[in-house]
Amino acid sequence: MRSQPQETDDELLVNIRSGDEEAFLTLYRRRQGALYRFALHMSGSAAVAEDVIQEVFLTVLRAECGYDPERGTLSGYLFGIARKLVLRQIERGRSDVVLSTETDEYAMPELAVTDDPLVDLTHREGIDALRRAVQALPRRYREVVVLCDLEEVDYADAALALGCPIGTVRSRLHRARALLLEKLKQDRSPRRAATPLHPVRCIS
Amino acid sequence: MNCQEFWKTMPENGIAHPHLRECAACAVRMRKQHELAAGLRTLAAHQARVEAPARVEAHLVAAFRAQAGRPSGRGAVRGWIPVGTWAAALAAMIAIGVFVVRDRAPEARRNPAKRVELASTENGFTATDTAAEEGYLPLPGAAQLVPSDDVSVVHVELPRSAMMQVGIEVNPERAGETVRADVMVGSDGLARAVRFVDVTGGD
Repeated sequence: MRSQPQETDDELLVNIRSGDEEAFLTLYRRRQGALYRFALHMSGSAAVAEDVIQEVFLTVLRAECGYDPERGTLSGYLFGIARKLVLRQIERGRSDVVLSTETDEYAMPELAVTDDPLVDLTHREGIDALRRAVQALPRRYREVVVLCDLEEVDYADAALALGCPIGTVRSRLHRARALLLEKLKQDRSPRRAATPLHPVRCIS
Repeated sequence: MNCQEFWKTMPENGIAHPHLRECAACAVRMRKQHELAAGLRTLAAHQARVEAPARVEAHLVAAFRAQAGRPSGRGAVRGWIPVGTWAAALAAMIAIGVFVVRDRAPEARRNPAKRVELASTENGFTATDTAAEEGYLPLPGAAQLVPSDDVSVVHVELPRSAMMQVGIEVNPERAGETVRADVMVGSDGLARAVRFVDVTGGD
């Protein structure tokens, strides 16, 4: 049976259970991008993110994968698995490196420049600064920003993925945004003043 | 409404809230929030192209096919052989084995050199390989595999008594123990040959 694009994740999962390879591919292609970017943001390592994605979808293949539709969506459940796997990798010391903005994996296309006075952050420099600021966030704030602001996961799914109440997601998100603004402010104003002075030998 | 009350209400819906006309500080803060939100949206849009490498999908498809009991080289989605089919065949074989070990004394290996042609499989067999060369023994009554058949290998544990089905001598005292085996399954889902792992002919 051919999987239709409008099939829900849960319907696809049922078809996967009955051996429908196309359903598996549909689910994978629908969800892998966001999961991969989440793992990449959280781990800072493309290799870790790749391993995480593979493990997440291997979990889907297992009959006893533990997904319960009563508790939330499949998407939220998959983000939750990805998060646990990333944290495990971090504990093993395999990741959490600072992302380099110079590497190809993060190379971004040129941004479209708009005339909106509020969109300074949407210019190239602003975007780079914002990306660095997100990376610099403590993990618990970074994960909620990546989920809710970058991947547009709703609060309920984010709560499922993070294993916390929705209220906690909201409060962490507010705190995370405040930290981002603070970080961006620091980056903008006194950057030059903060340049370390090099000692010069006095010859007198 | 004071500032605290305003921010407690999660004013995500807008810059046009009456409080913002009265409070310049909150208006500035709100403007920054909107600026940040716009920046995050743009960041998200420009990272939307970042995806898992294609090899991940290939690995997962191979895993899916392996789990579904299909050789990884096949592209067809429909007509896959349910795991239950070969499981049923295997169960029948085991049942026969148990029956035989009760009623018959162990006998020497029978016709171990009988050859079964194999097709290409995920385990690296080629059409010229034979079951005997790989240590596989044909199952009694099983149809012969033709080179164009897809076969897959299933790793199982069987009672030692099942070894008698393919002519391997079994110590009756150990007939109830289990032994690891690789069962070759044809594209029709029926078991064709078996190889017992770490077992010699006189076991």
